[in-house]
Amino acid sequence: MNVFFEQFPVVFQALNVGFLQTLKLFGITLLGALPLGLVISFGSMSKFKPLSAVVRTLVWIIRGTPLMLQLLIIFYFPGLVFGKQLWGGGEGGRFFASAIAFIINYACYFSEIYRGGIQGVPHGQQEAGLVLGLSRSQIFFKVTLLQMIKRIVPPMSNEIITLVKDTSLARIIALQEVIWAGQAFMKGSQGISGAIWPLFFTGVYYLAFSGILTLLFGWIEKKLSYFKA
Amino acid sequence: MAILEVKNICKSFGRNHVLRGIDFTLEQGEVLSIIGSSGSGKTTLLRCLNSLEFADEGQIVVSGETIFDAAVNKRPSEAQLRQKRLHFGLVFQNFNLFPQYSVLDNVTLAPRLLKKDSREAIEKYALELIDSVGLKDKVNSYPCELSGGQQQRVAIARALAMKPNILCFDEPTSALDPELTGEVLKVIRSLADRNMTMIIVTHEMAFAHDVSDKIIFMDGGVIAEQGAPDILDHPKSERLQAFLTSF
Ligand SMILES: Nc1ncnc2c1ncn2[C@@H]1O[C@H](COP(=O)(O)OP(=O)(O)OP(=O)(O)O)[C@@H](O)[C@H]1O
Ligand SMILES: [Mg+2]
Repeated sequence: MNVFFEQFPVVFQALNVGFLQTLKLFGITLLGALPLGLVISFGSMSKFKPLSAVVRTLVWIIRGTPLMLQLLIIFYFPGLVFGKQLWGGGEGGRFFASAIAFIINYACYFSEIYRGGIQGVPHGQQEAGLVLGLSRSQIFFKVTLLQMIKRIVPPMSNEIITLVKDTSLARIIALQEVIWAGQAFMKGSQGISGAIWPLFFTGVYYLAFSGILTLLFGWIEKKLSYFKA
Repeated sequence: MAILEVKNICKSFGRNHVLRGIDFTLEQGEVLSIIGSSGSGKTTLLRCLNSLEFADEGQIVVSGETIFDAAVNKRPSEAQLRQKRLHFGLVFQNFNLFPQYSVLDNVTLAPRLLKKDSREAIEKYALELIDSVGLKDKVNSYPCELSGGQQQRVAIARALAMKPNILCFDEPTSALDPELTGEVLKVIRSLADRNMTMIIVTHEMAFAHDVSDKIIFMDGGVIAEQGAPDILDHPKSERLQAFLTSF
């Protein structure tokens, strides 16, 4: 027990640094994938058939292969082909490659959620707006948007909570996120070695963070529960 | 002058000729009921009147103003279209209320967005309308809290709030449980009493007989028979006879 209390401050400090990297990857992914997903969903719904076919194929490939594989390909492929590291070495380069892989992957998942939300609003809503003389943009902003959001929030919250845990996949290209930080104490770091509890302890970070997100999304869903769409 | 003249409206979807030359006129304050079997083009005709669909041939004239002419190739701008739509109101079979808005907001949304009047005046008129359809105590309810009959009455108030010249109904009671149709028909009847010009697509023969000034029987995309409500008692054409015995 004494050992634990001796180790704790050092480990806590290191895990916090790792978790900050986890949070950064999470935040950047959302920032990129939320808007990119919307663009992709418009592409997949395009009336211009070649475009929607290409976009849907891309989405199928990304959703049909493991994110871990995509990470490895995006990180190593440019080096193999061009003979030099495109991403730059070191932690910055690994973060950049991870962010690209995560943004593309999650944008594809988000695009399907957006598509479901947009196509799920009955066409009658649009027509009801039209016969009342509303313009297309008034109909979008005042009639259909909130109904789309209501449809999007539950699947989106699932996906975002999955993202919290998926960030750990970046460990495969040695991004120094929280699991990497915990594992370091097994091999030996800052005078601590052979300690496995720091790795287990990283679970607390994930639990706390996904707990907060669950509460947040629960609150949003509750706010939108006053109507049925 | 007739408030509405529909001239030779034709409409096809691909090779399916749904409307094959529809002609009729309607005077201010008249109630027209359109009857006919499923697929005879009744909904399509209402959608053409409301510019949700565009006829391939024919003209639509409202109070002397040609609001649609298939011979004019130029597509109207969106703003022009919206202007034309305002001559008509449309009450849908499945209500299509806006679920996220209260009864009052459903009724006031369009007049507010189109700045028809001051906010107070719009609200005052909306409350009168909601009262007139018997839903005074539901002003702040949401559509999901209402029965189908109540929702349809809100939809009628919502359409009236834009003060249309002609109000169209597409089978307004078809989605309702039988015990709820009466309350909606009562509201439509009260509008007829107040000389609202209306076009009602309906399968309620007794109601059509009672409330209408004129009946049109559509079959295969044409008007097979039209006239005063007593054509329902003494149908001339075989097709109308056959249709009426199916009830
Ligand atoms: N948007 C569309 N695209 C293709 N075909 C259509 C479209 N709308 C209607 N139709 C076809 O037009 C025909 C007439 O349909 P419409 O809805 O006008 O009939 P209706 O008289 O209203 O029938 P009901 O009593 O069942 O409502 C049908 O054969 C229908 O399949
Ligand atoms: Mg119909």
